[in-house]
Amino acid sequence: MENNMKVNEDALKIGKYTFKSRLLIGTGKYPDFQTMKDAADVSGAEIITVAVRRIDFNAKENMLSYIDLNKYTLLPNTAGCYTAEDAVNTLRLARELDVFRTDLVKLEVIGDPKTLYPDNEELIKAAKILVKEGFTVMPYMLDDPVLAKKLEDAGCPVVMPLASPIGSGLGIRNPYNIKIIKETVSVPVIVDAGVGTASDACKTMELGVDGILINTAIAGAADPVGMAFAMKNAVEAGRLAFMSGRIPMKLYAQASTQMEGIVF
Amino acid sequence: MKLEINGKEYIAGRDVTVQKLMEEFKLDLKSTAVAVNKSIVPKSSYGDFVLRENDKIDVVTIAPGG
Repeated sequence: MENNMKVNEDALKIGKYTFKSRLLIGTGKYPDFQTMKDAADVSGAEIITVAVRRIDFNAKENMLSYIDLNKYTLLPNTAGCYTAEDAVNTLRLARELDVFRTDLVKLEVIGDPKTLYPDNEELIKAAKILVKEGFTVMPYMLDDPVLAKKLEDAGCPVVMPLASPIGSGLGIRNPYNIKIIKETVSVPVIVDAGVGTASDACKTMELGVDGILINTAIAGAADPVGMAFAMKNAVEAGRLAFMSGRIPMKLYAQASTQMEGIVF
Repeated sequence: MKLEINGKEYIAGRDVTVQKLMEEFKLDLKSTAVAVNKSIVPKSSYGDFVLRENDKIDVVTIAPGG
């Protein structure tokens, strides 16, 4: 009971916004919109990412009819943008959409199609412009502490290093860098991309990061709704384990049972 | 008058405004945004924004993404 309260009162603050859930989810790659909706509902996520694209006049279904705007904060992304200019213009266009009720944006400026690693120079350039224009910028970035500091200095109220390449499911490849990033910046750290399964999410949270953004690991699972629930629990368990303080690792055994009073 | 909407050719009447075009396509203003020749058109300007021959119009909305 007390521990439940610990998690419940432990808010995630991004700029002027506060969220209870530390799991953010993407909406891409689901088999259908109903599964997307059901997965989002069981995940407990409050922020869901979406792209901004040309409307399909022949679309049979409207994605929006599956999203309760009173329940979720929609986060527009800049997926597919390779320059600061394109990313900035995409978000300026997104600002015209009334479905985005906050100035929160996920900034990604891709530098290479094979790895989907970001272009650091363009990322910082775009972040500076967007911060100046009043956006609350959430940058997807490499797991580089120097870069994290630069983005914090540019005015980003959160940094979002990758665990491993987008959609790779490789899990956290450099936990030490993530820890260093957490120690380097004073803004929250949300790990974005690369988580493959619940244990990855749990281990990531145990490092002390503030949240995780997951898309493919949920959407691409055989049962996305089941995986969404697993991720919710993993993020909460990892957070609680971090806050509760794990025992130090020792090379040799240490008996859990006292020796005092032993007969034989 | 020839226009291009979301990459496809469209024949519209002369002096059609963005507002009129949105009505023709029965588009929900809240969940869409418009750019003409890559310049964003604020919603407040839809009624005054007169389209010209060969204008390229992009109408966007949300789409699945991570």
